[in-house]
Amino acid sequence: MRPKNLIIAFALAIALAAGVFVAARLQTPASLNTAFLLPAPTPLPAFSLVDQAGNPVTPDTFRNHWNLVFFGFTHCPDICPTTLQILAAARKELVSSGQEPIPRIVLVSVDPERDSPGVIGRYVDHFGVGNLGITGQLEELRKLTSSLGVFFEKQAGDEENYAVDHYAGVILINPDAEFHALFSGPHEVRNFVHDIPLLMAGR
Amino acid sequence: MRIPIICMSILLSSCGGGGPPQPPLVATEIVVTAPMPGSGMSAAYLTLKNNSSQTISISRVTSAQYASVQLHETTIEDGVARMRAVPELEVPAGRTVTLQRGGKHLMLMRPTGSTGTVSLQFFDEDALVLSVETAIESRSKDEHDGR
Repeated sequence: MRPKNLIIAFALAIALAAGVFVAARLQTPASLNTAFLLPAPTPLPAFSLVDQAGNPVTPDTFRNHWNLVFFGFTHCPDICPTTLQILAAARKELVSSGQEPIPRIVLVSVDPERDSPGVIGRYVDHFGVGNLGITGQLEELRKLTSSLGVFFEKQAGDEENYAVDHYAGVILINPDAEFHALFSGPHEVRNFVHDIPLLMAGR
Repeated sequence: MRIPIICMSILLSSCGGGGPPQPPLVATEIVVTAPMPGSGMSAAYLTLKNNSSQTISISRVTSAQYASVQLHETTIEDGVARMRAVPELEVPAGRTVTLQRGGKHLMLMRPTGSTGTVSLQFFDEDALVLSVETAIESRSKDEHDGR
């Protein structure tokens, strides 16, 4: 092979390798630490719940915000406050780093029997200003959870003391009220801080 | 915030070679979270070290500051968090057992008042094997505020 052809072949090989690399990066968000980006965002279904002030909550409530949504309950002493603390710490780091916009932390109660608007309001306020607490009728809650693939199940116990098994992941809902991405856990502050800006910028 | 503990150990004696005898059961790294607004729930996390030559089984924990204390364990399987009561917590001879976030922990329910200090009594059947006193975790709201 003549030297000129060799150079052209070499350049083509480099270009092909670079193309494959870029295509792979575009198809799989390899730069995300732990988040799973849905191939196509999924609109939320119609449902009607209430927030901590008793205001109606519908899919429109999620519009114009990035929302980090966790499903838990206020009588959960371990994994729920731990997860909300992690989200609050991540949010604080994003604020400190000048990130815009800042996602809103949302707790949806899987224990609406005990979690009245007032109870969930005092609970979410503990983790920061601007957090959203959602509760309401069980059948309306199931419309939301079933569309997101979120499992929850009340366990046996007495009236005041029972547990609720629940999905432990954190769901990112975008400002068009669509299921956008998923953090399945185990949760760490640094992964949220790393992945959230990428997810928001890549939209 | 991790608080140094005040610890008394009772029941089982340990006889080492030289030096002062070690208490049979010792608790360190004790954290008791502040009662959560809304539900009043707290959790306690700690490390238990059994210095004796016999297994110590914690079957009951009480606190003057909470109406009910239960041993629980959180597990996460297939992405689902489950919390279940643990009937008995065994601390084998010479071993350490850690109660930590996302694992075994004490669930403290219905605070009887806020004193800033919590006492916990650990029982092996009816025998008191450990009593500890610690400050409730200081968790100011500012720590969680975004802006």
